[in-house]
Amino acid sequence: MRTTFAAAIAGAAILFAAAPTRAHHAFSAEFDISKPLKLQGTLRKWEMINPHSWFHVDVKMPDGTVVPWLIEGGSPNQLIRLGVTKNTLAVGTEFIIEGYQARDGTNKAVGRNFQFADGRTLFLGGSAPGAAGADKP
Amino acid sequence: MFNRLLLSTVLGGVLVAAFVAAGGGVSQAQTSQAKKWTVPRTPDGQPDLQGFWNNTTYTPLQRPTGVNKEFYTAEEAVEMINKAAAAEAEQTVPGTVEDVHYDFTQFGLDRSQAPLAQNLRTSLIVDPADGKLPPLTDEGRRRQTARAEARKRAGGPTDAVQNQSLSVRCILMDRNGPPMLAGAYNNNYQIVQAPGYVMILVEMLHGPRIIPIDGRAQLPPAIRQLEGSSRGRWEGDTLVVETTNFTDATGFQGSSENMRLTERFTRVDADTILYRFTVDDPSTWTRPWSAEVPWRKAVGPLFEHACHEGNYGLYNTLAGARAQDKREAEASASKPSK
Repeated sequence: MRTTFAAAIAGAAILFAAAPTRAHHAFSAEFDISKPLKLQGTLRKWEMINPHSWFHVDVKMPDGTVVPWLIEGGSPNQLIRLGVTKNTLAVGTEFIIEGYQARDGTNKAVGRNFQFADGRTLFLGGSAPGAAGADKP
Repeated sequence: MFNRLLLSTVLGGVLVAAFVAAGGGVSQAQTSQAKKWTVPRTPDGQPDLQGFWNNTTYTPLQRPTGVNKEFYTAEEAVEMINKAAAAEAEQTVPGTVEDVHYDFTQFGLDRSQAPLAQNLRTSLIVDPADGKLPPLTDEGRRRQTARAEARKRAGGPTDAVQNQSLSVRCILMDRNGPPMLAGAYNNNYQIVQAPGYVMILVEMLHGPRIIPIDGRAQLPPAIRQLEGSSRGRWEGDTLVVETTNFTDATGFQGSSENMRLTERFTRVDADTILYRFTVDDPSTWTRPWSAEVPWRKAVGPLFEHACHEGNYGLYNTLAGARAQDKREAEASASKPSK
């Protein structure tokens, strides 16, 4: 397992359209656009709280030490409605997370992309039981 | 990314099917169903609006530039929704402000994963007919300038917690209103009726609006509240709620504390409430304006939204600003003096 802090994906010449910013708060005020990061670790705890959920992830460093990180994700309410519970993601699940580090320099980040270790994208809404019926009363 | 696009396509297909099957919008449904639909009654005889509702919409408040009609065709509406849904599901560009965010689709929070009522309107604003906010009055313009100057005097957004917006501080969000308009996600409501009262629980901030409908007077003018003072009554099968006594801090679309808001809730079929509101604020706009959005029956229950208690983001934002202050102070102290 390795931890990579990198200006990953710099120079991605792919044409991406910007999604509308519909945030509860200015995430760029909380996290540092100049500190993109990519880390790999295992889930220790998922705080399914509002306004945003937090993933506690243990990141194993090359020297064997374990460094705890907190990764910010979305509000859990719609997920709960779609059948996701805190047990949907087992403790110990391995993640690769791309994101941006907190401006205060601590081990916190926003997880702009969560992947499982096998490369599958975490997709709680779409993979949850009942998700297909999300638009039904 | 593949998964996201796949889901978007699948959901887009569902939407297409829903629109085409319905073959029309709420306004058409409203007129044709006014004949057939009988509004259910509560045990004490009120029209029954109770249940869980969701007002998620892709329709903007104001009509987009270049659109010159009131309604889309069903096909155009589907195209507009699919485009917007695809844009929400797309990756953002690394290194841009938009990219510093979690992914909406990974958390089921993009609008294509929420209940959605059919709406062929090109804007939520139905009056004026051009679908745009009316011009500001001179007083409205002056207030806009004065508010901007007051914000400047108060310092930067991270200089004090009070400089952060009411929504960031978990005090009031657009879903709470009033008027109650959808935000990015969690646009869920529960209506409960009891003799003399209607209660609308807003999922965001877990905020209940308790509206007396027993004919009592509004609060005295000296008592001002962020959400105003609301009093309801029945006009036929429509619940009409008048709200006054706002504060200067509310500022809906630039409104003043004198805004008089009239909301109308009409259950047009088993799955839809038509929500219409009129904003009358002569000290801000040259004429009153009205908007309309359907609420779709949703899955209950509502879940807790203890926003303030979990608002680590506010702490992190301010802590980040203080860390930056410290770095700048150290950098300036280490500069050799001339």
